[in-house]
Amino acid sequence: MSFAIETKDLVKVYKDGRTEVRALDGVDMKVPKGSVYGFFGPNGSGKTTMISILIGLLLPTSGHAEVLGHDAIKESVEIRRKVGLLPEGFGLYEHMTALENLTFLGMLDDLPTDRARSKALEVLEAVGLQDRANARVSAFSRGMKQRLGMAQALLKDPELLLLDEPTVGIDPDGAAEFRDIIRRINSEGKTVLMSTHLLHEIGMLCTHAAVIRKGKLLAQGSVDDLSQPVRATRGYGYEIQVKSGGEALLQEVKHLPETKEAELRNGKLMVVANGDIGSVLFSLAAKGQYQIESLTPVNPSWDDVYQFYERGDGQ
Amino acid sequence: MNKSLIIARKEFTDGITSKRFWAIVALFFLLYVATGFVTTSVFRIGGITESRGLLQMTSSVASTMTLMAPILGIALAFDAISGERERGTLKVLLSRPIYREHVVNGKIISALALIGLTVTVSSLLSISASILLQGTSIALDDIVRISLFIVLSILFSFAYYSISLFISTFSSRSSHSLTISLGVWIFFAFILSLLGSLIAYTILGPAPAMSFNPDFNRTQGGNAVGISQAYLNYSRKVEEISSTVQAVSINYHYSSIANSLFVTSVGPFGQQAQQIDLMSLLSSRWIDLLVVAVFPVIFLVASYFAFTRRQEK
Repeated sequence: MSFAIETKDLVKVYKDGRTEVRALDGVDMKVPKGSVYGFFGPNGSGKTTMISILIGLLLPTSGHAEVLGHDAIKESVEIRRKVGLLPEGFGLYEHMTALENLTFLGMLDDLPTDRARSKALEVLEAVGLQDRANARVSAFSRGMKQRLGMAQALLKDPELLLLDEPTVGIDPDGAAEFRDIIRRINSEGKTVLMSTHLLHEIGMLCTHAAVIRKGKLLAQGSVDDLSQPVRATRGYGYEIQVKSGGEALLQEVKHLPETKEAELRNGKLMVVANGDIGSVLFSLAAKGQYQIESLTPVNPSWDDVYQFYERGDGQ
Repeated sequence: MNKSLIIARKEFTDGITSKRFWAIVALFFLLYVATGFVTTSVFRIGGITESRGLLQMTSSVASTMTLMAPILGIALAFDAISGERERGTLKVLLSRPIYREHVVNGKIISALALIGLTVTVSSLLSISASILLQGTSIALDDIVRISLFIVLSILFSFAYYSISLFISTFSSRSSHSLTISLGVWIFFAFILSLLGSLIAYTILGPAPAMSFNPDFNRTQGGNAVGISQAYLNYSRKVEEISSTVQAVSINYHYSSIANSLFVTSVGPFGQQAQQIDLMSLLSSRWIDLLVVAVFPVIFLVASYFAFTRRQEK
């Protein structure tokens, strides 16, 4: 597997007088190419520091970081040619129009003036702001600023997008539209790293994720890989929608050796087992004595996953 | 296009369309009109209508410039970097394939253009107005002096720009940057001269009696003004000590050379002052010239150093 981002023992220490804060504490992170990588952690856990190091705004205290095959310290200009950044707060010039903002930034991305302007119009269309090209950014809603922020990150046709808390303060509709934009960008083969402290975003959008706390990476991997140990520890959950014969099915499930808990509630049989018994349950249901509508595995919530790693259960 | 020029063009457009810039320009003109009105009234009373009257008028422009040029420089620089940092635009700017030097260069180029434009246009307009109002003639020597004055004023304003830019590079808040910049200006413009006098009076003790001569006849000139030699010596020493203290201030050097460019028609004690030949003036005031030219360079280098080494969280 090739990686868009690879860090090795990355450390960043902030010094404030005699106080030292280890914002990153030996982080080894691997972001696969083509993934939507959720970088999850509470406020102050080191997410923004990591993104700032990757784009060359900060230097690490020690360790190594490689972005798209380039050394993050020695080749940061080359990285900035290929990586788009959407910082928290979006970083737009409020007194300028959307088109002026993008044309100016496009020219700094090495585009000739005419091309910068036409590219600006293209990316405005991509984020659905083509009608507001000549409006001042100060008149934009937060959701529109977020989309314009995304447009500026797309100007250079980046291979990798770094999004720092992109949906903070955005209403649910705006956040949903934004997720659609990210999915579309990802389907074009671009890698997206998105920091967030909103757990549900990981499940809705990400193919991979990492959990960071107090500068330490607690876990990383594909979304399935991350929830697997949680299932193994807390049990595999299943939800069976029963039409008839629920009580009999409940008794049969309770007698399975892997079953930890089984309960019938409002026509739903909720099962927690020590192992993956999906196929066993399916065979039982297929016997014909019971009428069931559906059998669905219940994945642990991202809250459960975070709690699991945060408590160190995954170590 | 060179990336510094791309940033400079944007900064110049921002500056020329900003309310803050036009408020400073308006203040410039207001002060020129006020000082011009006062000077014209003095001319009418004194009956001065020669070319020297024009230089006297330009001298009043110099007083306005001493006050306003630092304010112009600070107004353009105090949030040049800290404002970008505060608004989060610095991160977006530095996420492009550019070097930090491009950002500083762009800001400096646009500031030089804005300062140059403001100082030149306002000085020329007020001087032209005085020529028209008084009907005074203008000689080649006057033009050279006025041109030199404009260049010096641009450098003086730019020196304050560079001081404020330096402060802005390490400030995370523009309000802090503005407060410190204004503090530096107040120190150089007002506090240092008071400090100079205070130190002189502390060293020299109380002044001797002035012993005024009631039979003084102005036409006799010299010491006949009736002030005792002891008092004159005391005043000279006070002036020397005060000047030494103020030598660290760019305001002092700018004022010294700007005032030397324009003679006064009547000296402080009634004697006729002589206009100093331009070449003699430049050779005798080379330290002032050097300080006014070097001051901005020192702070620009410091700004480069501070900004290129600073990390953005």
